[in-house]
Amino acid sequence: MITKRWNWRLWAGFGLSIGALAAYVFWVNETRAVFWPALLLFLAAAVLLVSGLKRRSREPELYRGKIAGPVLTTLSVLIFGLFGFVVYQVLRVFPEAKNAPQIGQRAPGFSLVDANGENLTLAQLLSSPITDSRGGARATKGVLVVFYRGYW
Amino acid sequence: MACASELRGIQRNLSSLEAAGVKAVAISADTNDESRELCRKANLTFPLLSDRKAEVIRSYDLLVPNGSPADSRDISGIAEFLLDASGKVRWRHFGETKAERVVDEAKKL
Repeated sequence: MITKRWNWRLWAGFGLSIGALAAYVFWVNETRAVFWPALLLFLAAAVLLVSGLKRRSREPELYRGKIAGPVLTTLSVLIFGLFGFVVYQVLRVFPEAKNAPQIGQRAPGFSLVDANGENLTLAQLLSSPITDSRGGARATKGVLVVFYRGYW
Repeated sequence: MACASELRGIQRNLSSLEAAGVKAVAISADTNDESRELCRKANLTFPLLSDRKAEVIRSYDLLVPNGSPADSRDISGIAEFLLDASGKVRWRHFGETKAERVVDEAKKL
């Protein structure tokens, strides 16, 4: 009587590919560099899946009858395809921004016109106090600069 | 109405931001006429700045070439930078974010 073995490589590979996609989606808004660690995780997942599949075909009596191998591999390939799609969408909406100012760096100054055609600079924003709706003034502790795609 | 939802979120939380001592300003490659239209439609009271030549957008490395679906002109990617009073970046984020999260970061300044 042969007890069937659990082909852990397949499950680990499948788990890793889910983890890789999740890690990318979770961190991509903080740093685009998460692409490379995610890709490495997918590579590791591929190695595990291939070795799991090989094991399955080498010792079919141990792992025979299990459809987990093809199913998990197909699912992992689909997840990898989803990863490619997400990366494409992210890059389409957003470039790599490698040279965007980092935390701790001084942000580039600007001098631009507002909706009324009046000029406004970052230096002015930083140095002038905040006047609230009740007419009170308070010192400016910071400025939030939001970049948006535009109005169309 | 791309991105107006994020700007609306900032508007809803503007008093919390100001209570934390933080001003909000938004930058895009729109003309100031387009910005005025957006301000009016979305009732935005913080300044929308017009970076028509995308020079500032480039200096923040946020340019999306031909990114506008309407006329494929160069536009900005979505990003938020929270600067302290000395103009240093204290927090940043790429893509849309919840204004509540920005308020939390503003309180840390």
